[in-house]
Amino acid sequence: MASSPSPRRAVIIGGNRIPFARANGAYIGASNQDMLTAALDGLVARFGLQGERLGAVAAGAVLKHSRDFNLTRESVLGTALDPATPAYDVQMACATGLEAIGSLADKIKLGQIDSAIGGGVDTISDAPIALSDGARAGMLALSRARTLKDRLAAVASLRPRDLAPAAPGTNEPRTGLSMGEHQALTTEKWGITREAQDELAAASHQHLAAAYERGFFDDLVTPYRGLARDNNLRADSTVEKLAKLKPAFGKNLGERATMTAGNSTPLTDGASAVLLGSEEFAAAHSLPVLADFVDYELAAVDFVSGEEGLLMAPAYAVPRLLARNGLTLQDFDFYEIHEAFAGTVLSTLKAWEDPEFCAERLGLDAPLGSIDRSKLNVAGSSLAAGHPFAATGGRIVATLAKLLHEKGSGRSLISVCAAGGQGIVAILEAR
Amino acid sequence: MRETLPAVPSLGSLYAAAAPRVLRKVASVAPGSLPDTEAYVESVRCSREQLIAYQRLMGDTVREELPSVLLHGLGFPVALWLMSRKDFPLPLLGLVHLRNEVRHLRAVTPDEELAVSARALGLEAHHAGTAVTIETSLFSAGELVWRGLSLYLAKGVRLDGVQAPTAPERAAFVPPSTTARWRLDGATGRRFAAVLGDYNPIHLSALSAKVLGLKAPIAHGMYLAGRALAQCAPHGTGYAWCIDFATPVFLPGTVEVNRTSRPGGVVQFCGWNARNSKPHFAGQVGPL
Repeated sequence: MASSPSPRRAVIIGGNRIPFARANGAYIGASNQDMLTAALDGLVARFGLQGERLGAVAAGAVLKHSRDFNLTRESVLGTALDPATPAYDVQMACATGLEAIGSLADKIKLGQIDSAIGGGVDTISDAPIALSDGARAGMLALSRARTLKDRLAAVASLRPRDLAPAAPGTNEPRTGLSMGEHQALTTEKWGITREAQDELAAASHQHLAAAYERGFFDDLVTPYRGLARDNNLRADSTVEKLAKLKPAFGKNLGERATMTAGNSTPLTDGASAVLLGSEEFAAAHSLPVLADFVDYELAAVDFVSGEEGLLMAPAYAVPRLLARNGLTLQDFDFYEIHEAFAGTVLSTLKAWEDPEFCAERLGLDAPLGSIDRSKLNVAGSSLAAGHPFAATGGRIVATLAKLLHEKGSGRSLISVCAAGGQGIVAILEAR
Repeated sequence: MRETLPAVPSLGSLYAAAAPRVLRKVASVAPGSLPDTEAYVESVRCSREQLIAYQRLMGDTVREELPSVLLHGLGFPVALWLMSRKDFPLPLLGLVHLRNEVRHLRAVTPDEELAVSARALGLEAHHAGTAVTIETSLFSAGELVWRGLSLYLAKGVRLDGVQAPTAPERAAFVPPSTTARWRLDGATGRRFAAVLGDYNPIHLSALSAKVLGLKAPIAHGMYLAGRALAQCAPHGTGYAWCIDFATPVFLPGTVEVNRTSRPGGVVQFCGWNARNSKPHFAGQVGPL
């Protein structure tokens, strides 16, 4: 068998997002397609891509209307990009954005395409509400009915309770537990304190506020519908203020409940997009190169059986990614561990420090060890910015690529947990 | 002595027939008083509609394999016919479901025609009354494919000449970690009845449950077993499982659930009430 040529590099050129807005607030009435189009438009304008035919655009949404079967393509058709730009939807829960970007980077590395945009969008304010299964079954039977008798039978099969709509929730279908309740179990298992979670939350707000103050997001965020900054951001957040909040998850733990609305991510609306290309594409279009998209890895855990916590998959993905790239956990200048909950970040870090977990669960000779916490989530993360599920990957990639480019050297590690016990992690390298 | 029924009897008519005897007070029964009758039905089939309705009800994937609790449901009317006969010594209504123990010997498809046999195996003294074991067997072309033992308690009924054992010392229940949570609405009993045909009034509504002395309707034990098995049972093969019932699940209600894998392919599960930390049920699934 002929050896395949070593792949070329995929580079991150830049990113754009709209400010993230707390659900049922500033973005009421904006659909996924509206917001994704806005994020793409801003990116196109920033890098002069009007009329350009890109290799592919991949994005997705976690909560999606059935009419949005071609969400990304429809969004692309609403932008100034060449309508001959192909697009497709990706859906991997909260890993959607990073999976879209990672798989596009692979296509670039393989020489299949030269340029791409990856991203994601989500809205809680415009979430799909479905008919109940009973109502759906009755209406489908009605549409199949050929005789008056069949039609009457289909109508008669509808029960008043069927008319209650089914709204999407964040409950895991197989366990009936919400993501927060699952994390509460993990947080308790790893003995993560309320204080540690509140400290992480306060730091997230302070870091994000400082990044806005120094103009870091000026070329990463485009104002949308009156918002110029993420409106969940509380620049004056402190551990003392956070300590006053009542527990929101794991309430059955009583006194031992530690997770509050302050150290858990709020439901959020927003969209993000990242421009990727080959080095040749960037050079030919006189575009900046912020970082290389080096590699990424997926993982999943068996949370249904209770063997592992719902949001712990990144803890398994990282050692595999490190081994493949000959790196240690300490070989990074920036880390962003997505703050689904402060407890998620802290449980993951504690797991990597734990000899038993690293030996028995990860099969490692020695623990991955601890990280320099001053390198963690330095421009804030989801606790402050919010977390429009599929849009988080694009936010993080653009943020870390720019941090690396500012520094001029080094690497960053990204870790994102997702519903269904999944996770995605990636390595970027400065240019 | 085998008594062959022409078809599976309707549960509704069996309950209706038993209703006049609700007020019948039975103080004691003789150890040998169970009828020596094997109730037999030659041909039972599960329709695909019923299979799909069952799998949807349990939150399971629709597939061409009859779940163990659905097989129990197919045979149950035959067992109930036995228990509703005039010569069955214990009062049918008010029997408390204590335990099921099942050997599901191989995967059964909805195309198979099944024969059902039910027998009452024996009476035993229980600290709270007298318990009876009913054995139900399902055969496919003469091959035993499923056999279950169900243990029911007639509260306050003495077994003549037998000293009732003292209540066993039970270790206090310490709730394990939650791995799932079932939120059961008030219609849970009616939905189960609609699929399995088991319209026992204690499961149906607040009113029908009150008539029988319960403060609220309770979830059917086999519904709870079915939910647990939908999560824990293997597919495409036989398996053995059991479940013990402790306290009833009042509807509407929330059940905290734990499942834990044990060596040898065994999965243990249990359900409890988070408010008072009382256990509802515990059981396990494993290889034959």
